[in-house]
Amino acid sequence: MLNFDWLAGVSVESAKWFFYGLFILIGLLIIIIPNEYIFEGIEVENRHWWMNLKIWALAVMAVLYYTYYLF
Amino acid sequence: MLAGIDYFVVIAYLIGILLLGYYFKRFVDTSEDYFLGGRSLPFWAIGMSIVVSDIGALDFVGVSGQAYRYGISVGNFDWIGSVPAMLLAAFIFIPYFWKGGMYTIPEYLGRRYNKYVRTAASVTWIVFFAVDLGVLFWASAVLLNVLMGWPIWLSIFVTAAVVGLYTYFGGITAVVMTDVVQLIIMFVGGFTLVFLSFYYIGGWDALVEKIYALGPEYARHFDLIQPSTSNTPFPWTGILFGLTFVMANAYMIGNQAIVQRCLTAKNEWHAKASMIFASGLKMLIPLLVLFPGLVAIILFPDLKDGDQALPMMIKKILPPGLIGLMFSAFFAGLMSSVDSMLNSTATLFTKDIYQPFIKKNAEDKHYLLVGKLTTLALLVIGVATAPISSLYPGIYVAIQTFLSFFQGPLFAILLLGIFWKRATQWGGLSGLVIGIAFAFYLNLFSESIFTIEDPFLYVSWWSFVLAFIVTIVVTFFTEPYSAEKLDGLVYKVHKADSK
Repeated sequence: MLNFDWLAGVSVESAKWFFYGLFILIGLLIIIIPNEYIFEGIEVENRHWWMNLKIWALAVMAVLYYTYYLF
Repeated sequence: MLAGIDYFVVIAYLIGILLLGYYFKRFVDTSEDYFLGGRSLPFWAIGMSIVVSDIGALDFVGVSGQAYRYGISVGNFDWIGSVPAMLLAAFIFIPYFWKGGMYTIPEYLGRRYNKYVRTAASVTWIVFFAVDLGVLFWASAVLLNVLMGWPIWLSIFVTAAVVGLYTYFGGITAVVMTDVVQLIIMFVGGFTLVFLSFYYIGGWDALVEKIYALGPEYARHFDLIQPSTSNTPFPWTGILFGLTFVMANAYMIGNQAIVQRCLTAKNEWHAKASMIFASGLKMLIPLLVLFPGLVAIILFPDLKDGDQALPMMIKKILPPGLIGLMFSAFFAGLMSSVDSMLNSTATLFTKDIYQPFIKKNAEDKHYLLVGKLTTLALLVIGVATAPISSLYPGIYVAIQTFLSFFQGPLFAILLLGIFWKRATQWGGLSGLVIGIAFAFYLNLFSESIFTIEDPFLYVSWWSFVLAFIVTIVVTFFTEPYSAEKLDGLVYKVHKADSK
């Protein structure tokens, strides 16, 4: 059991879907974070769209997803 | 191997770093300045510092060697093995640590659980960093000697003098700001090698075609996901469970050297942004370290030791001047690792051991002095103990393995501590201690228990699982803290809940 032999029947192609699923789940969790929480520390009048850290995080996740899609 | 112009590049780099680091002495008046940079640093500097601290000279060579042997699957460590964990740290953990005004991760554990958990975690990190410092000095100096013919003791003394001076006087601000330059040097040196390697081999398509043509044993060299039955250290089960779910999170959330940088941010947004920015930069690291190893498969197909791949590539590809730049990149990797260890260990000792146990309620200047003297003492210990490593050839790997004993259980109690208000102090302590003991057991009998080579990913996962279960079970038999006591320490728990 400790060697994960119970997952030996899962092909590499199927395993990839675990990874994709994880990336999509993380992306969805990022999307539902409230904007107020994202901007905490920045005064309201100084907030700009490019300071929305959800956009930064989703961009990184998109590159990660594409990397695993390619390889 | 170094030409005159290479020496000029290296010496100019070392003097520049020394002067830059020393400049930040003027910003250090209090212990908060020394350990947290006066909580005034911007996200981009912190993000760059996180990334460069995470990769040392040994990683450059080691990861290229693994790419030579196993292909791109080693890139998992910087991609799925870093990015999701960094986002989790950025959005959940770092804001709690930053808002709580913490100096150390064990300080959080002490407030959330009890002083025993804090002391156990802190002592473990201090021992790890202190021992690792000497080992890192020696292993890196040997590497620089093999690569460039640079005398071993010269490497050690130059690194100790430069890093020691700016870390002693400038504290974490000097560490972070010199890291910014170190990252730029590392990226310029590394990407120059990658660009020239591809130019030499005829581009990406030619590389793939030539490696596949070498035979069926290279059929999976361009696959990130390896079968669970693979006997390499990177089967997908280990990558997903051991690396992604445990080790990456433990490293990005529980490692003092990483998290302390985020705590220097000027506000909460900068603290979060620093980690997300770092995750973007981290995506680039495999490009630096994988490609030279892959190109070496074509140029030097019969290397007995994969770790020779990068040195051979440097000798073959780089012209004079650029070799000096690459050498500076190795130095940058070494110095950024050493300065992180010095400052983090000084913080852990001063805040978690000296202040609570040796001298409480002293003036702030006193703790500032203790932090500086600890930095100096660690440096002397590191240099003095460096040659001991030569007596124990496997010590570097042994120390990294030691870290994997600790990381799974530490992450289990951090995770339960922040997300489950019921978790009790005795639950956390039991989970930590029993989890570490189980990791030792698994590692001791790893050959009879595990089928894969070097099963540290599986050890991390199973020790995490046991620590998680033990914490929950013991929690149900012990008394929880009130919501008031947990205010600001647990996700969505506020004082109002207790009324």
